[in-house]
Amino acid sequence: MTLPDSKRYARQIKLPQIGTPGQKKLAAARVLIAGAGGLGSLSSLYLAAAGVGHLIIVDKDRVELSNLNRQLLHSETSLGKPKALSASHRLGQLNSKIKITPIQVKIDRKNIDDLLKEVDLVVDGCDNYPTRQILNRGCLHHKLPWIFGGVQGFDGMITSFVPNSSVCFECIIQDHPATKLRDNGILGATAGIIASIQAMEAIKLLLDLGTPLTNRLMQICGLDMRITTAALTANPDCKACSPIKKN
Amino acid sequence: MIIQFNGLQETIPRDLNIRQLIKFFDEGDPHLIVEQNARYIYPKDYDTCMVMENDEIEFINPNLGG
Repeated sequence: MTLPDSKRYARQIKLPQIGTPGQKKLAAARVLIAGAGGLGSLSSLYLAAAGVGHLIIVDKDRVELSNLNRQLLHSETSLGKPKALSASHRLGQLNSKIKITPIQVKIDRKNIDDLLKEVDLVVDGCDNYPTRQILNRGCLHHKLPWIFGGVQGFDGMITSFVPNSSVCFECIIQDHPATKLRDNGILGATAGIIASIQAMEAIKLLLDLGTPLTNRLMQICGLDMRITTAALTANPDCKACSPIKKN
Repeated sequence: MIIQFNGLQETIPRDLNIRQLIKFFDEGDPHLIVEQNARYIYPKDYDTCMVMENDEIEFINPNLGG
């Protein structure tokens, strides 16, 4: 590690759980951020600041004015630009020493395998069920951990999925014909809270620290500041992970 | 009987299972997540899982925005 790097990351290298070996691990890590919206903005900023060596930012959309209350990667000067590029630019300003790969595509069944190649971990920043289902199947197939986050209004939820050691996304939220996003608005800070926890989970999983939020679903109700954590048990009827567990 | 429902004390009829409790509270979200005493309850168990006095029940409408 170079001297400037050890200075940049000094406050986290000081943590005995991280130290120089942990920092080197972060530098070697490759994390895919699925969506550069409210969640992906904050989680990628924290991961870039922490020195995760390679961030892959995937988003198909362009920056709109209504994004700016919560999507802090973007600014007025990036209106109309692809979010992946805007994100890459901002993250590069924050940390020019890491590699950032912007990819402007919609995550689908055809490209998921390519996107997950050589990735160590995925951080969810999606805004819909079908894309998360594709991520879930891809991560199960590639045996990759991914960190689910979801937000709406003042509320958010989060859990970490680790293939073979936890329930999966489709164990706890099943597809339904009525699946559609309730577009009821969102406070920027809601996304900030959940994304910050996602970033912490990502670093913990990359460095094998502490107790990850696997098999536990945390929900935060911002209006009355209630935080609940529910224990998740395996769903033997899960269509996504049950066949994998049986093999 | 009394339960803690979404952090608030609520009075409900006795001998309800989770499915009946969902109907009692008129909850219609197809993705509803039910927690009973900090444990996730799978939909397949709604009919057999009974609500007991002083249970802590959470109805969670999944947040799928990003």
